[in-house]
Amino acid sequence: MITENCHPGLHKETALTPGNFLDPEVRAFLEENTEVISSGNLTPEIRLRLLTPRCRFWKERADLWPFADPFWAIYWPGGQALSRYILDNPDIVRMGSVLDLGSGCGATAIAAVMSGASHVLANDIDPIAGMAMVINCELNNVNPFPIAIKNITDTKLDKWDLIVLGDMFYDEHLADCLHHWLGKCIKMYGTKVLIGDPGRPQFTGHIIHRQLHKVMEYSLPKPTRQENNGLTSSIVWSYQP
Amino acid sequence: MAALRALVGVKRVIDYAVKVRVRADGAGVAADGVKHSMNPFCEIALEEAVRLRERGAVREVLAVSCGPPACQETIRTALAMGADRGVHVEVAAPDYERLGPFQVAQLLAALARREEVDLVLLGKQAIDDDCNQTGQMTAALLDWPQGTFASALTLEPDGQWLRVEREVDGGLETLRLRLPAVVTADLRLNEPRYATLPNIMKAKKKALAVLAPAALGVELAPRVTVLRVEEPPQRQAGLRVETVADLVAKLRESGCI
Repeated sequence: MITENCHPGLHKETALTPGNFLDPEVRAFLEENTEVISSGNLTPEIRLRLLTPRCRFWKERADLWPFADPFWAIYWPGGQALSRYILDNPDIVRMGSVLDLGSGCGATAIAAVMSGASHVLANDIDPIAGMAMVINCELNNVNPFPIAIKNITDTKLDKWDLIVLGDMFYDEHLADCLHHWLGKCIKMYGTKVLIGDPGRPQFTGHIIHRQLHKVMEYSLPKPTRQENNGLTSSIVWSYQP
Repeated sequence: MAALRALVGVKRVIDYAVKVRVRADGAGVAADGVKHSMNPFCEIALEEAVRLRERGAVREVLAVSCGPPACQETIRTALAMGADRGVHVEVAAPDYERLGPFQVAQLLAALARREEVDLVLLGKQAIDDDCNQTGQMTAALLDWPQGTFASALTLEPDGQWLRVEREVDGGLETLRLRLPAVVTADLRLNEPRYATLPNIMKAKKKALAVLAPAALGVELAPRVTVLRVEEPPQRQAGLRVETVADLVAKLRESGCI
């Protein structure tokens, strides 16, 4: 794991191989407060540790959670669509390099490994998300992939065959920033970009939306609808400026 | 089906379970340090908007609250319940005390125009001032049709007309409104959902814009002055009678019969 955010048990700017950096106490906490789930979403073949109605924190006050908000403990609808698409269309990643930007639980990166990507990098700004991803890789008997804990748009561009982003266009400023950065990646390396989003107005109203090509729309399973008030479907878009 | 945009007003009020007390200066009720929550009728209005969105009739639900910064908590709750975007019209404490239904209706009408919404959904009244005026005034200012005290809502398939069922004396009345329209929610319209922690987390990734009333071109000058706020009179103790004859005697004594 490459981390820029200091956290007890993690060391700044240290590349760590998954498996040897999991603080046993944090791991125990994550396992105690999440549940292994493999149904109710678009990818029943991927097992994930998530926050569910049977977990204490489902109804607990948010400020009692001891870490940053566990955005990784939710399998977001955009990520579900991307993962489903990659599992159904392995050719899109096979033998190629994949960057999963804003990985969260790591499902889309796991889907990329399962579909035969030769090199996968998962990225998130939350170190606890990195730990959750390692646990989720284990759950799926997937060789752990490298995880970069940092704002990757602040770093120099690398060559990727494919960049996937699930549910990242929720904020106008972030959307502007990603729009600009992705444009550069495509221009410099011809990278293919896939975006998963359930129809957030910040995304559909953003200028990037004019340069998207709709790849696939998935109807969300009932449990996912129930957990995402107001949402009914999720779409995979290809960004083609 | 047409995808409409809905604006829902969510008022932050003193929680329904709190025992309200009049301030010592008699100019209002004590609100400091008291638990606040979303006005229950606003919750119902919001729930209905989210259900319309889930049915594909509405494509965006905008939650609006007017008042001090604490209103953003109420907007966050609305976002957790399924609103897509929040707008906080910031009205600082001294102005907020004098903010009445007319000023709020002006703000909502201006926002409805600016955001080009097709439907304004509000609670029929707030449980703090019980005014029951904001929806009606908003409709009047916009010159839109209104359906007040809705107990059921259906959008016709063409997406142009809304059927509003209302509980009136002696039965149900059904109105057909041409959109855009203003609808106010009554108690039996629906049962609002509960916002779980993951919903509250997801709501943090939704946009919340803050606006000043002046940005909407609205002057907040009050038209109504509150002269005095008083506690209701203490209820007098009753008395117990042993027999019917005693009761009749007491009633005679007090001149009731």
